[in-house]
Amino acid sequence: MRRSTTTAAIVTTLLLSGGTSRLLAQTAPVAKAPRTADGHPDLSGVWWRGGDVGGRGFAAGGRGGGGQQPQTFAGLYQPSAQAKAKTLSDKDDPSLGCNPTAFGTLNVSLFDVGAVGQIVQTPKFVIMLTETYNGFQIIPIDGRPRRDNVPPSNRGDAMGRWDGDTLVVDKTNFVDTNWMSAEGRVSFHSDALHIVERYRRVDANTLEIEATVEDPKVLTKPWVVPKQTLVLAPFDQIMELACSTVDSQSLIDGDVAQTSGKK
Amino acid sequence: MKLKVLAFVAGGLAALITGVPAWAHHSFAASYDLTAPITVQGTITQVLLRNPHSWFRLNVKDSNGNVEEWSFEAGTPSGMIRNGYKADIIKPGAEVTIKGFRSRDASQKRGMLRELTTADGKTYGMFGPQESK
Repeated sequence: MRRSTTTAAIVTTLLLSGGTSRLLAQTAPVAKAPRTADGHPDLSGVWWRGGDVGGRGFAAGGRGGGGQQPQTFAGLYQPSAQAKAKTLSDKDDPSLGCNPTAFGTLNVSLFDVGAVGQIVQTPKFVIMLTETYNGFQIIPIDGRPRRDNVPPSNRGDAMGRWDGDTLVVDKTNFVDTNWMSAEGRVSFHSDALHIVERYRRVDANTLEIEATVEDPKVLTKPWVVPKQTLVLAPFDQIMELACSTVDSQSLIDGDVAQTSGKK
Repeated sequence: MKLKVLAFVAGGLAALITGVPAWAHHSFAASYDLTAPITVQGTITQVLLRNPHSWFRLNVKDSNGNVEEWSFEAGTPSGMIRNGYKADIIKPGAEVTIKGFRSRDASQKRGMLRELTTADGKTYGMFGPQESK
């Protein structure tokens, strides 16, 4: 793995979080993106938006976005899909039943409905680990053909290839029973969903993700996802974030019973 | 009425925390009435730092002096921990004020935690220490 530094001495980053602006100054030189033995950028690491939800450094809207309201997946629905959307509501969200989403609430598939994810890279695979739902996606990068013997899935079947220093991930073979969950809106999709993501580690601490989402059965045109800029988290392991459909009162009562006398 | 323990909802929670409830993720919105704010004062009986969401339970006296136990749902333990929350920060017996939103089932003494203030004036958000506090 090669490491070197840039001559950049000062990097100033403006974080926007729900209308609250903070100016952070980073004075340390920024290291170049590390590379694996085969020369490709190494995307490994835990990535987030500079903090966890509600915490210091978290950028709710992502970094690098402009002030313009971004296009949304559901905003591109065909008339028939718009009509279907009117018949659905929050309570119909399959993620309430612990179904992983096809994309992600914060427009980052690595996060699913969370705000942190981990990438592990090997010569054959880029493995994306998602904290929520204990999710994972194994992306071959060794040039093999796409599998034709796997059933449709919540997260799709992913294939990877390098376009220079950019990892291009092509996802197909989705079920049509979960939602995109993009931006928290009612966002069903069809089994024709096709997602192409481009990952570029621009330096040691920064991962940029661009994505285009096609769904000719429900969208009028492809949805170009606003570019997401993630930063390397200061820890190297995600945690478990389990999901349960057990009635919450039962869970609470169970906890109380288990911890009785331990208060 | 049964309430489901909901999947994690990062994006919407961020919006809630930053004061944009309209963008709130529908899963929390499905369980809690985000137009029905509630404030309770009481004594912590238990803090459950656990998946998928943490809970603060407290005894609250009603206007007649009767004690009711309320439960407030907070953020994911992983998020709270990464934001600097520690399990023993708020212990049973602590006097707190909690602001939040009521359950859609008004018969339940349950809510979604938005802000917790301790007797010494320290405040915590849904995901523990908040940068805006």
